Amino acid sequence: MKPVDLVQGTLDLLILKSLGAEALHGWAIARRIRQLSRDVLQVQQGSLYPALHRLEDQGLVKASWGVSEQNRRAKFYSLTKTGQKRLDKEAASWHRLASAITMVVST
Amino acid sequence: MHWVTRLRNRFRAFTNIQAVDRDLDDEFNAHLAAAAAEYEATGLTREAALISARRDFGALTQVMEDCREVQRMPWLANIGRDGAFAWRLLRRSPGFAVTAIVTLALGLGANTAIYSVIRGVLLRPAPLPALNRLVMIWETDRTSGTSHEPASVPDYLDYRTRAKTIDGLAALMATEVNFTQTTADPERLLTLRVSNDMLAMLGVTSVAGRGFVEAEDRPGGASVVLISQSFARRLFQRVEEAPGQTIVLDERPQTIVGVVPDTTDFGVLQILSTAAYSRSFVDRGQAARVDVWMPLQPNPATLPRETHPIFMVGRLAPDTTRAAASAEISSIAADLEREFPVNRGRGANVELLSDVIFGPVRPTLYLLGAAVFVVLLIACVNVANLQLARGATRTQEVAVRAALGAGKRRLLGQFLTESMVLTYIAAGAGVALAYAGMKGLLALAPADVPRVSLVSLDGGVFGAALVMASVVALTFGVIPAWQARRVDLVTTLKDDGAGKGTAGPHRTRVRGALVVAELAAAVMLLSGAGLLIRSFYNLQHVAPGFESQGVLKAEFQLPASRYPVDRRVWPNAPRLHAFVRDLIDRTAALPGVTNVAVAANHPLDPGFTNSFRVIGREAEGANWPEISVRSVSPGYFETVRLPVLRGRPLSDADTPELPPVALINQAAADRFFPGRDPIGAQIRFWGIVRTIVGIVGNEKIQGLSAPAPIATYISIFQAPGAGVLLVRTAGDPTTLSTPIRNVFRQQDPLLAVFGLESLDAAIARSISQRRFAMLLVTAFAGVALLLAGIGVYGVFNYDVTVRRRELGIRLALGAARSSIVGLVVNHALVLISIAAAVGLSAAFGFTRLLSSLLYGVGAGDPVTLVGVVALLALIAIVASALPAWRASRLDPSRTLRAVD
Repeated sequence: MKPVDLVQGTLDLLILKSLGAEALHGWAIARRIRQLSRDVLQVQQGSLYPALHRLEDQGLVKASWGVSEQNRRAKFYSLTKTGQKRLDKEAASWHRLASAITMVVST
Repeated sequence: MHWVTRLRNRFRAFTNIQAVDRDLDDEFNAHLAAAAAEYEATGLTREAALISARRDFGALTQVMEDCREVQRMPWLANIGRDGAFAWRLLRRSPGFAVTAIVTLALGLGANTAIYSVIRGVLLRPAPLPALNRLVMIWETDRTSGTSHEPASVPDYLDYRTRAKTIDGLAALMATEVNFTQTTADPERLLTLRVSNDMLAMLGVTSVAGRGFVEAEDRPGGASVVLISQSFARRLFQRVEEAPGQTIVLDERPQTIVGVVPDTTDFGVLQILSTAAYSRSFVDRGQAARVDVWMPLQPNPATLPRETHPIFMVGRLAPDTTRAAASAEISSIAADLEREFPVNRGRGANVELLSDVIFGPVRPTLYLLGAAVFVVLLIACVNVANLQLARGATRTQEVAVRAALGAGKRRLLGQFLTESMVLTYIAAGAGVALAYAGMKGLLALAPADVPRVSLVSLDGGVFGAALVMASVVALTFGVIPAWQARRVDLVTTLKDDGAGKGTAGPHRTRVRGALVVAELAAAVMLLSGAGLLIRSFYNLQHVAPGFESQGVLKAEFQLPASRYPVDRRVWPNAPRLHAFVRDLIDRTAALPGVTNVAVAANHPLDPGFTNSFRVIGREAEGANWPEISVRSVSPGYFETVRLPVLRGRPLSDADTPELPPVALINQAAADRFFPGRDPIGAQIRFWGIVRTIVGIVGNEKIQGLSAPAPIATYISIFQAPGAGVLLVRTAGDPTTLSTPIRNVFRQQDPLLAVFGLESLDAAIARSISQRRFAMLLVTAFAGVALLLAGIGVYGVFNYDVTVRRRELGIRLALGAARSSIVGLVVNHALVLISIAAAVGLSAAFGFTRLLSSLLYGVGAGDPVTLVGVVALLALIAIVASALPAWRASRLDPSRTLRAVD
């Protein structure tokens, strides 16, 4: 199946969700989203990185420098408390929206 | 604290772009390495894996730019861009830029400098924590009409026990002591005798040792002193060593018990200069810092109710107002008047200490503040005019910008940035100017301005300058934006540009109004300056009654221990008189000395007054004011050239053994002997009857601006007191300083000589506050005149340039060149007339501010006002005729053909 483009405005939600468990660097975030969606969702780096920096600027994620599997200096992102709250809220409203759309589409 | 991180990131993005880019590089490289590793795992070669990873990533630089953008604020970037653009624009029109910047720098610089003085002197919190609860209690004297007299010791003790609205009443007495040291000449130190509760009431704590205790403040108490921190530093290695040490003051050992901060004497100088009959320390012409503090030890036995040497400082009880305290103190004064005959005519006057301290300088500083503010306004009007003229030629640019989609807000932003660049450059230059001018300003400032040492260009002043500049910048940014609002895109863009010739009636009117405003402001300032200059001139040409030129004074004080005054042989004091005779003889022998005199007070020292009676007219004299008593040696009249109008001067024959004589001045003769001959009449004071033998001229002993008081002159050999040596020489009197010091050293090496200066210098100092105000207001008025001239020139120059075609047509149709000039100058004259009317009415308000600084000239002096208007009219005519004349020289055939 061909990967589909992201629904507008859902990238932030996906990033926050993928960071739920542990700190990840950019590429790992993209991979996590791909894996969790079973290769349906493909995040473009062109949108991923500006989004990450924006989330950091808004205080939803925080960054620290570490070493990647390839032994390179890499920036690891993790969820802040505010980020966690935002994730819960966004996830809840997504569920409402998705079930509503499902209802409409499947009738 | 996420906003901290955020702020740090933003700041870093702004200041350290390389570091931000390096981080982005690392982050993306880590990504590429991970992605490549994944591809490699699927079997691709390392090379191919990397290429695939890159391809997946997309446009690397674009992503990088997007990431950078997150941390940057777009408006900040716009400011940067606008700033650079503004800078380029300014460099392209250097004439405009330089004129505007210099104009604003003058205005802002002058304001910064004066603000720093006002802030240092008036606005900073006083070193006394309870200043606004502290009051001065003066005694008043209805017979002489004085409202600021020191109190007597018994009165002070009575007020202290009776007053309920005052919960602490301290007293101080100003004096000076001789400080004798083994290694150098004796020195004169300013000294305060204070009641033991004074320092606590002022909120002063010793920096080492302790303050005075009550037991030390009784008559006959211990010989203890406090010294100032600076004095302690001079004497000892460390301030802490001072307590317990002994110093010799007035030839008696005194134990130092504590060290107080230098600011402890805050306000004392102003109290002394406010008081009637009291000499301010400042008059001595030396550093005005109190170095020694002694206990007051008030003794009604030696200081009875008829002598008034002390100043009372009280603290208002909680929930009491000055008015309530004033009412209670006045009623106590009335009681005392009933109880004690010597208190006849005495009342009391309660004044806030802060009013005493700051009252005298407030008018001058507010006047200067108003004056510089007007200068700034004129500078602003000038720049506004420049902006308007420039705006007219920029319509094309604005139209293009608007056509390309710049919104109103974006245009406003651009104009604001431009004016900010301009104004902040000017503000920088202005602050530099203020910094350079500060030294001169403070050197000019009279010594009795409180806290002048605290004046500095500190953060607060810079802040104020920044605020001022920002307000100015905002105003100027709005003007062109407001102009741009009227730009009609279509016609402007169709036009071939370059501001071709139509100023439009509206714009002309605005510029005319601005010219009127700045000329009116200049009229106002010039009127003030004119009045101050005339006052100062009047003062300098006031006849003081004596001739100061060529006279040197040297003051001294004889210690009573070695020069006793024996009341049994009163008023003879053999040792004192011998000293005076020797001093005169030794000084007269110096080369170059033409006259010598010794007196109790020099001619600018108001000295003291006494009540007196004329024998045979005792009843009449009960309501007479007190008379100034001047003890002088016979040579005094020759030395200061005080004319003897009738009768004879004092002579060497008036010895202590012979019947005492006196001279009176013309003022006293007019006041007490109208239609009679005073010569031969007898007056009595100090319990001694003296025969009047002559009448002398009036000396302005209370200062040049005060009328000469009534005075009597008695021979120093028939009176007990000497305090100043006066020497006249044909040459420069200051060359005598060293020889005179040597004379004193030979005669009494323990004596401190002070106030060694020419009488001219003493006179100059007595009018230094007026000089300060006069010089500064004149300087500001000069700047205002210059700016107004530039402004008028700028407006008419522009006007003429715009009207070139019209003027060309007039010339071609046969108008005379002179009529072209006339046309323009007429317009200028109309503006000047309006400005004169507006300016003069404003000047009446402004000159009221300086009424306390005027002398011999009214605030509405017609000569000054007419002169000011004439001067300004002249400047304005020249400034408008110049461009008009240039325009009239143009060749009409050329102007008309020119396509601009």
